[in-house]
Amino acid sequence: MAAIYSLFIINKSGGLIFYKDYGSAGRMDTNDSLRLASLWHSMHAISQQLSPIVGCTGIELLQADTFDLHCFQSLTGTKFFVVCEPGTQHMEVLLKVIYELYTDYVLKNPFYEMEMPIRCELFDLNLSQAIQKDRVSLLGR
Amino acid sequence: MAPLAPRSGDAVFASVERVNAELFTLTYGAIVRQLITDLEEVEEVNKQLDQMGYNIGVRLIDEFLAKSNVSRCVDFKETAEVIAKVGFKMFLGVTATVINWDAEGTSCSLVLEDNPLVDFVELPDTCQGLSYCNILSGVIRGALEMVSMKTEITWVRDMLQGDDAYELRVKLLKQVPEEYPYKDDD
Amino acid sequence: MIGVGKAKQYANVLDKPLSRGRQEVSLSAFAFLFSELVQYNQTQVDNIAELERRLEDAGYAVGARVLELLCHREKGNRRETRLLGILSFIHSTVWKVLFGKVADSLEKGTEHEDEYMISEKELLVNRFISVPKDMGAFNCGAFVAGIVRGVLDSAGFPAVVTAHFVPIEGQQRPRTTILIKFAEEVLRREARLG
Repeated sequence: MAAIYSLFIINKSGGLIFYKDYGSAGRMDTNDSLRLASLWHSMHAISQQLSPIVGCTGIELLQADTFDLHCFQSLTGTKFFVVCEPGTQHMEVLLKVIYELYTDYVLKNPFYEMEMPIRCELFDLNLSQAIQKDRVSLLGR
Repeated sequence: MAPLAPRSGDAVFASVERVNAELFTLTYGAIVRQLITDLEEVEEVNKQLDQMGYNIGVRLIDEFLAKSNVSRCVDFKETAEVIAKVGFKMFLGVTATVINWDAEGTSCSLVLEDNPLVDFVELPDTCQGLSYCNILSGVIRGALEMVSMKTEITWVRDMLQGDDAYELRVKLLKQVPEEYPYKDDD
Repeated sequence: MIGVGKAKQYANVLDKPLSRGRQEVSLSAFAFLFSELVQYNQTQVDNIAELERRLEDAGYAVGARVLELLCHREKGNRRETRLLGILSFIHSTVWKVLFGKVADSLEKGTEHEDEYMISEKELLVNRFISVPKDMGAFNCGAFVAGIVRGVLDSAGFPAVVTAHFVPIEGQQRPRTTILIKFAEEVLRREARLG
């Protein structure tokens, strides 16, 4: 039983640079994922303008009947968001872990070009381990 | 989730994996040597070092943000303090001091006495105009640009050129506001 | 400690006492610097072999300096004259100072008399680097191979040194072997020394 359905990373221009699904619930084809990323980028930006609170930094949590969406945006504008089972705990912590993995295995890779799709073996490996650890601790409860 | 408290430079430096500074110093020396061989002109080397620093800065900023838990700075004064006390410390293991603010609070100096880039370096006569540490100015410029601050950074004092410390003048040119998609004008 | 009070000014850099090698920087600082070294060299070459050579050359000068520094500081200026001595020095002392640990293994090649291998599960310099598939067997460890060559050459043991990825049965990630092939004169001298 996968609590996480999918993970998206979008660059500061709204381009999808990383997408991974975890099980069939989160799966979608490339065009859909690109479109969704761009849509979320816009919604996130608009939410900052709509917010009655000054200095709002955009949507952090979207709760729907069949899923939750947790989003983290770094001060550099890169967004990390997961789509997961409603009520899944500790997703903000996971997003922070993923952000750190990105700063290590993507940004320190000389073969990675900024803003481009992420194709870094070490990032994939460490991400899997992080998600796996998360799953184990979720099931253990 | 409540935002995490910002961490001190010492705390972050103690928590990250560290390496012998000599590896760092020697590798930087190798880079400078390569540039001098390739480019020959000292001014070109200075420019390239700044560019390399910029390339590093735009990537390094995310790690800085991730590990220090620093949230958006209230003003440029806070930014400078954070660079000096947290930024330098967590990467280079040394802190800088912030001095000589101008009246508007948009320009200040960062002073470094200890600098792992330059251990045991002496400039030969053929390279007297070399800004050996120019990579640092690029790093700060690149990092700040990624958080919407355009800056101009120049060297005021350089120990390799006979001064008593390393002093960088950091001037905030403008804060570039975030761009929204669907903005009608412009 | 650092930053407290003004550092003593030395008129001549040669008067300054040699550091004890205890100062540290973050691994990230080194990794970003190394990444930029690789990226810069990529813009200067047309093919992978050239990139390897440039990284090796960059490491060579580091190796020569490391030998001088460590001979003086760690070995009281004693000079290694035997093959196993210099290899052991590299595998233990050089590795410990530069990378924080002794190398995983030092082995003699089974097929050739003049070959030795220093292996690491993962070189420190490669910690955050994922080489794209289209770059084949390219290994940024060429920089480390250069360091080793620099040490050996300056110590009087000329050799060809290269870095290779070696896939390991059952392991997802290959380990790295630094292959050292000594020049004939070195082996002849070893034989003479008995």
